[in-house]
Amino acid sequence: MPPLPGSGLAKGLAITLRTMTRRSVTDEYPDTEPALPPRSRGTIALFEENCTVCMLCARECPDWCIYIDSHKETLPVERPGARARTHNVLDRFAIDFSLCMYCGICIEVCPFDALFWSPEFEYAEEDIADLTHERDRLREWMWTVPEPPALDPAAEEPKEAAAARTAAEKAAGREGDTA
Amino acid sequence: MVGLGAGDSADTDMVLNIGPQHPSTHGVLRLRLRMQGERITAAEPVVGYMHRGAEKLFEARDYRQIVVLANRHDWLSAFSNELGVVHAVETMLGMEVPVRAVWLRTLLAELNRVLNHLMFLGSYPLELGGMTPVFYAFREREELQAVMEEVSGGRMHYMFNRVGGLKEDLPAGWTRRAAAAVAAVRSRMGVFDDLVLGNEIFRARTRGVGVLPRETAQAYGVSGPVARASGLDFDLRRDEPYLAYGELADVLRVAVRQEGDCLARFECLLEQTHNALELAEACLGRLAELPPGPVNQRLPKVLKAPEGHVYTWTENPLGLNGYHLVSRGEKTPWRLKLRSASFNNVQALTELLPGCLVADMVAILGSLFFVVGDIDK
Repeated sequence: MPPLPGSGLAKGLAITLRTMTRRSVTDEYPDTEPALPPRSRGTIALFEENCTVCMLCARECPDWCIYIDSHKETLPVERPGARARTHNVLDRFAIDFSLCMYCGICIEVCPFDALFWSPEFEYAEEDIADLTHERDRLREWMWTVPEPPALDPAAEEPKEAAAARTAAEKAAGREGDTA
Repeated sequence: MVGLGAGDSADTDMVLNIGPQHPSTHGVLRLRLRMQGERITAAEPVVGYMHRGAEKLFEARDYRQIVVLANRHDWLSAFSNELGVVHAVETMLGMEVPVRAVWLRTLLAELNRVLNHLMFLGSYPLELGGMTPVFYAFREREELQAVMEEVSGGRMHYMFNRVGGLKEDLPAGWTRRAAAAVAAVRSRMGVFDDLVLGNEIFRARTRGVGVLPRETAQAYGVSGPVARASGLDFDLRRDEPYLAYGELADVLRVAVRQEGDCLARFECLLEQTHNALELAEACLGRLAELPPGPVNQRLPKVLKAPEGHVYTWTENPLGLNGYHLVSRGEKTPWRLKLRSASFNNVQALTELLPGCLVADMVAILGSLFFVVGDIDK
């Protein structure tokens, strides 16, 4: 039997009416802040105290938007006759967010945990040059970095946690020996 | 006015440009239509306005960096695009992916399929003059995008696949929230059946319009829901199962229609969305039963695919995506050829549009469900 003429329209209007009686699902940004999960890729924060200027992030970046300058400094010789040691000092660390593709490879490859994701996203600029965040601005983002979420019970133990546990067990074992 | 009174039809032909900036083209597709009055006599899609040279860029990127670029050509199916690339590299390496990663990938690929289809379920009625469905579609998209963002950190470009598995494991409680989101979206999916599919105006504008015969679809290499609406019963998830689809055979239903018109294409898309949600639910069920385990493989510092070549294909939301990977044993591919669904699907316009009225052009164009980035790469 063919459907009654106009029944399709009536059904559609019924949906509209039903929705009208429900609460709106729209969040009125910027009055309401969005609730973002900790993994959210908003901006990249630099913990420059951890950076050893190894350049891995700048090399692995798919569009080369990380700029790093550094120089070498020689440490004063500790004992006479010892070899003078040098270390790298960071002069400039900048990320050009007008080029960044937010892939997170830099954060993944950093061997010393100097880069982190932050869910902050409100840094639009009038001038494209201002989207290049220098080290002080990147350091500021560190205050917004959330704690990583706990993992699913079925997940493997994170390797940092496993390493810490083995170290703790070893230390406990040594204490047991001396006691 | 040329040839006044001559009655020579050739002289009254007009060439009409649609695009490259046109709201119905989802990007910058240009159509060159030859018109006789209101009727289209010839149509030619002019592609390439968004060409970004992705394949060439792949040649200077390692396999992790390729994932960044590969998830962008079809911006509505980022997860599925990533999947194809890592699938090709894994095939090349003969690498076995941990079982939890396989089920998680299947789950996320199906959620991505739903997200992709919801966009077209909303935008297609919009192109035909129906304003409301797009709001319902975006409500559901938002629900699922929250789930995707919680696990991967991204709303569109997930960047969650790695060669050998996934980037990282799930956050605690994610599976529960994902199941709740899938259930919520499933409970409201009937909106599209009632509001769009049952609507007389929508049916009048799409039924019998833009009929794509099975043979033409086959000749042009049309794939995905568009091809299945023309009776081409072919779906890689069933016919050449990858990921965990082999074990989901009792849940997977391949939506096929014989009519080949705009309505059939929309029906296939809608049915496939319903089914993708069922598949996602089944994956979540299986995931809960799996023993604890890793979701990725330990990779060497420098990952190199062995010398040789491989062709893998996956059933992307919009159709077949093929990846021809040629490696010379370097850490970058020597060549990675992309076969994207939209490119072939859009070529069928040369056959579909002639003989149609210009008013039906938008209905036909929208019903081919393409993303211009996927055409131009």
